[in-house]
Amino acid sequence: MGLLDTEAGKRRLLCVEIPAVERYNEGRDPDFKVQVVRGGSALTLRYRLMPCHNVYLLETRLHSGYPTVPPETRVLTPLRHCPHLLEGQTLCLWRQGSTRDSSRWDPAKFTCVFAIQAAWRWLACYEVWHETGEWPLPEAK
Amino acid sequence: MSTVFQVGAGSGGMVVLDLVCRDPAVRQVVLVEPDVYQSHNVYRHYFGPREVGRRKADLAAGWVKQFRSDLDVTTIVADLLDPTRQGEIEAAVAASDLGICAVDNEPAKYHFDALMRTHAKPWSLGEVLSGGIGGWVHVFRPGEACYGCVASHLQRTVSTDNSPPPDYANPQAAVAETRIPANKAAINVVASAHATITLGLLAGADPGFTSLLVPMAKVDGVFAEAWRPFRFRIPRSPECLICGAHHAPAGEDLDVALDQALARLGHE
Repeated sequence: MGLLDTEAGKRRLLCVEIPAVERYNEGRDPDFKVQVVRGGSALTLRYRLMPCHNVYLLETRLHSGYPTVPPETRVLTPLRHCPHLLEGQTLCLWRQGSTRDSSRWDPAKFTCVFAIQAAWRWLACYEVWHETGEWPLPEAK
Repeated sequence: MSTVFQVGAGSGGMVVLDLVCRDPAVRQVVLVEPDVYQSHNVYRHYFGPREVGRRKADLAAGWVKQFRSDLDVTTIVADLLDPTRQGEIEAAVAASDLGICAVDNEPAKYHFDALMRTHAKPWSLGEVLSGGIGGWVHVFRPGEACYGCVASHLQRTVSTDNSPPPDYANPQAAVAETRIPANKAAINVVASAHATITLGLLAGADPGFTSLLVPMAKVDGVFAEAWRPFRFRIPRSPECLICGAHHAPAGEDLDVALDQALARLGHE
């Protein structure tokens, strides 16, 4: 419960998340702007990223329990299977299912735009891995 | 005479409930607990195998009534996050003097925090670390740090988990971070501290900390020694996205403003 059916969730969206997306979109090439789609009790952010040479289409889902439940990002563009890719081309970003101590998601500090930036970083690593076979970030090993 | 709102009557929550309800200053308890007592609970709980299949809320209410027949005990058999029960839960929080959070999942802790902040009630939270190597007791008071402020601060500054990350490359493998259950003695240490601190809070005492960490074992890379407690006074973070001021319209105006904003971004 929360995001779209409680006052607190709606307020978070209106005052924190939407302004963050609007700032992200400001002045950006129209092809790379974030589009927000409402679906049931969740929101989906659709966008393209180009970390190096290739353009990827992605979706970040803000589930009903967001922001206490971390956002979930998947790449719609077909990828080669790599060690940090979960089922459905979902990115392994926050140690899903982990405790407060080990989770990298911080609902008190991060907005959905942080998830987009994390996806950008993941894709940059993916491109390096694609060329070299090495995942460049040590903490992800 | 006080009214206490507690969520959770698991192995730790039951100890807190038992100890808090023995205090004559407590007049009424509202307990939110959705679960049914199961055979795997018996080892760490107050009740025997004959109680398996009964609601934990009913067992807990029966337990405290044994020694406090005068205590007014109300049970809400529901998940704290159940959207259909929020009216009842909010009313109970509004009528209480203090909250006790004894849940072990993050969304429920954040929701408990939101309820307590909405109604400006003090509350406490107990957390036992995996394997019973230690535990936390946190205290929250109106206008001070929220659970988001505390969790965010601790996430960056205190490490209590050095377990290896799960191996997502091999989904069939045993997940290394699966919680290692704590033993009953370790649970009782944290829950007893939680109850003692809560009773102090109920009496108006300032514990002098936001978060108390009690290591119960020496663990390489985590705790240099056992039984040396750490106290943290964590301030409210002005940048916290959980408790920060979000100036927005209310009611229908909020819905309209949100619809307009989403429509704008839907066409980007």
